[in-house]
This record gives sequence, C-alpha cells and structure tokens, in this order.
Amino acid sequence: MEPRINDLQVESRVHELLDFPVHTNQISSAIYECPNDHIENPKKKPYNCPHSGAKCDVTGDIQRLLLHLRNDHNVEMSDGRSFSHRYVHHDPKHLHHATWMLTLLDCCGRKFCLYFEAFHLRKTPMYMAFMQFMGDEEEAMSFSYSLQVGGNGRKLTWQGVPRSIRDSHKTVRDSQDGLIITRKLALFFSTDNNTTDKELKLKVSGRVWREQPVSI
Amino acid sequence: MDLDSMDCTSTMDVTDDEEIHQDRHSYASVSKHHHTNNNTTNVNAAASGLLPTTTSVHELLECPVCTNSMYPPIHQCHNGHTLCSTCKARVHNRCPTCRQELGDIRCLALEKVAESLELPCKHMSLGCPEIFPYYSKLKHETVCNFRPYSCPYAGSECSVTGDIPFLVAHLRDDHKVDMHSGCTFNHRYVKSNPREVENATWMLTVFHCFGQYFCLHFEAFQLGMAPVYMAFLRFMGDETEARNYNYSLEVGGYGRKLIWEGTPRSVRDSHRKVRDSHDGLIIQRNMALFFSGGDRKELKLRVTGRIWKEQQQSGEGGGACIPNLS
Repeated sequence: MEPRINDLQVESRVHELLDFPVHTNQISSAIYECPNDHIENPKKKPYNCPHSGAKCDVTGDIQRLLLHLRNDHNVEMSDGRSFSHRYVHHDPKHLHHATWMLTLLDCCGRKFCLYFEAFHLRKTPMYMAFMQFMGDEEEAMSFSYSLQVGGNGRKLTWQGVPRSIRDSHKTVRDSQDGLIITRKLALFFSTDNNTTDKELKLKVSGRVWREQPVSI
Repeated sequence: MDLDSMDCTSTMDVTDDEEIHQDRHSYASVSKHHHTNNNTTNVNAAASGLLPTTTSVHELLECPVCTNSMYPPIHQCHNGHTLCSTCKARVHNRCPTCRQELGDIRCLALEKVAESLELPCKHMSLGCPEIFPYYSKLKHETVCNFRPYSCPYAGSECSVTGDIPFLVAHLRDDHKVDMHSGCTFNHRYVKSNPREVENATWMLTVFHCFGQYFCLHFEAFQLGMAPVYMAFLRFMGDETEARNYNYSLEVGGYGRKLIWEGTPRSVRDSHRKVRDSHDGLIIQRNMALFFSGGDRKELKLRVTGRIWKEQQQSGEGGGACIPNLS
C-alpha cells in the first residue's frame, strides 16, 4: 500500500498547524459560531474565501463561500464532468501584471475551483492551471481531475488529485501540483489559430471524476 | 576515409536515374551560354563535351589562397592574379601569387563568368540531382535534403557527419548508445543525488521502429533558475518525414501523472534547439521528486512512451499540416 498522505500534503498540513491558532481566534467571534469546537473537530473550521486575487477576508462554510464567490466576485460555474476554457492573454510579454482566473466547477454535487494563472517560477515565465476541492482534504482525495492543453500537433495532459481549499492557492502553486507550461510552449500552442505571437490563446479542457466512494 | 565509402554506397541506393549517375562521375559545370544555344543538348552531353574547358573555368573560380569558391567581390592585382575578398583582407595588400602590391581592383569579368555558370550541388555524390546557377548553389547546399546529418549525440561536441545508417552505427559503436527495437518503451531514470544539477545529467537512447530510427533524450538542466527534467524525441531523418510520426511520453506516481504528446523533431534541429524551444515533456524537479516517492533524496522516474505513425488524413486537411516550430 502506498501511503495516501504524500509530501505535498504533509507540507500543507504543517503549514495549517502553524496557521491554526491565530486564524481561529480571528474569525471565531465574527462569523463562525462554534467557539469551542475548533481544536477537537477541525473539519468544522470555516474555510477561507478561495478567491486569491485581492486579499479577501471572508470565511465560512462551503455554501456561504459559494454564494459569496458568485455574488461578490462574479465567479462563474461550469459543469465539471467535461469543460473547456479559453484563456486569452493580450500582452503575454508582461507577466508582472499577474494574470489569473478562477472558475467554479460542479461534479457529483461537489464544487471545485479551477485556477489559471501566469507567474514566474524562478525567473522563468510560466502558466499554471490546477484545481482545488471545496471541502476537506480527506474527501478531496476521492476525486481526480485532468487538464489538457495543446496546439500545433502537441498536447500536454496533467492528471492529478484536487487539493483542498484548506491549502492556500499559493501553497498549491508553489508545490507545483498542477499543469505547468512555460510561456514559450504556451505561445507555441497559441500560434495554431492564426493568432499573432503577441497574443496568448490557450484552450484548457478537462474533467473531474470521483475515484472511489466516499468513506466518511 | 571511411566516411566517403559510406556515402558512396548510399548513393547507389538512391540514384536510379542514369543521367544523374553519369553526372556524378563527370562533375559537370555547364555554361549557360552553351545551354541556350543548343536546347536539345542535355547536361551530360555538354559536360562530357566541354569537360576540359569548364573544369578550368571552375578552377579559375577557386581562390588560390584558401581554395574556396570565390563570390563577388572578386579581386585581382595589377598583374591579374585573382583573390577572394576574405583572403584579400588578410594578405596586407600584397598579392600572394606575385608578391606585388595588391591595390583595390575588382575583377568584374570573372564575376560575370561565374554568373553564367551552372554547377551541380556539392551533395551530388549523396544523391542530390540538382544543378544551380553559381551564386545560388551555396544557398541551396546549406538546406539541401541530401546534405549529411550531424551526429545527434549531445554530450560532447561530436563533429561526425554522415547518413542515417552511418550515424546509427556510429552512435552504437563509438558512443555506446543503447539501441531498442519496437515502438513502446519503459525507462527508469535513477539519480542518487538530484540536487546537483550542475553536472548536467543526460541520456540518449535510440529506438528502431517502422524502419526508422528515433533518439530519445532525457536530461536535467536549469530552465532559467528552475531545475527541471526534460524528455523529448527526435526523428533520424528529414523534417517532412518526421511529421508522419507522433509520440507520447508519460511520467507519474502517487495519483498524479503528466502526459506529453508530440511530433518528433528532425535531428536536423540540434538537440539544444529542441530543448530551448521547450518542445517536449518538462517536469519541474519538485514534481519529479514527488513522483519518485520516498524521502525526496533520490530521483526515480519511470518514463513510458510510444511512437506511432500518423494516419494519412492529409486529404481532409485536418491536423496533418503542422507548421515548423522555429
């Protein structure tokens, strides 16, 4: 048996432990009305808003966050069983305006955050797409997802396990747990569709599926 | 030179045209003037008839210093000794033939003579049947489909060139490269100290399938500042033929996997060029170590892959036309 808990997850758990006390104190009074339950039952700990663009302090349970994402951040919902998104970046040479996008996906009644963003990985411009599960890590591991991007006769496919939104967007990005393509390759993919090489047009398609029955 | 004998045998395979065959032996250079005078005269007749003359014209166009063919501006001294422009800059204004002062005289007459010449491609002995005006011959030779291939071994600079069967034998015998038959593969790359990327690790394996040869490269390098591993395939042959093939590479572990599907690049494109265009499976080291499992101290990557022949769908105009990646 391979251990289900891997290094990436251990890393994020340690991270969470360090976060924990400050975090709960901060929100317990205002939003989440369960002041004594936090340590004994971390599953009931409220989630942070997964919208990472601006610092958003909203926390709550999944239902509340879904409403918040739709109403306050105007995030759209797609069918997670099969999706295809187009990302257009008009000025890909200037990555410092960190470009990123969030879309919500629905699969088996569960919700997933699909991130797409441009960033520098040790000075190399990259694009990255990955998924996070709106729920706890334990349940997240019962799902799998795939992301595919291509053009010009090439295709890159990533298949992974969504991370829980307990892990911050940044934690997941920095652990490189997703589909990463260099800007050079992304631009090569984009030249397929009669676009000038100054504009980036990436089509990311994928799906989410349940790997095994939930055992909670 | 064994290289020459190698080339010779390959020519026999390629050349089935009698005219070209003769051409090869006479090494013809034909003047345009003659050609237009007598339209029915083919290249061979002209070549055999004018051989002494054309050969000496050809010799006239050889620089006496470097023996390369001369291109405008061609220079001469007061006594009429000719010299190419590269060498003129190096002889300190002294004619290498008569030791007199060189001056700055251009030899327009010889340039005009050169212009009227038509010469076979220098890769004629490798099968190229084409004949070119003197000044466009050089341009053609750098892109001629029959020009020899460079050795695809990437580790050290290897200057060996030749045709594909020759290079396959060279890789096997001189570089001790592993040879595999079949269109699927399953390789393990293990490195005990993956933190040391400085001593760039790389590997080359040759695959033989569909009657063709493919080079699988695997290596560790720094992409900008980020340590990565990269695997890609190159086709041992020309680019147009390379596009008939596809390949996939897959690596993964612990619920994650990464799959690359692509078209092999021709070995005409250098190993470095393909690598720098990111045209292959790139694995960030963090992810590679995650795939390796264990304590992240050792790299253990299993790369599986497959090569297949693209279905001929060019009639539909579908994905068959793949522009070249520059």
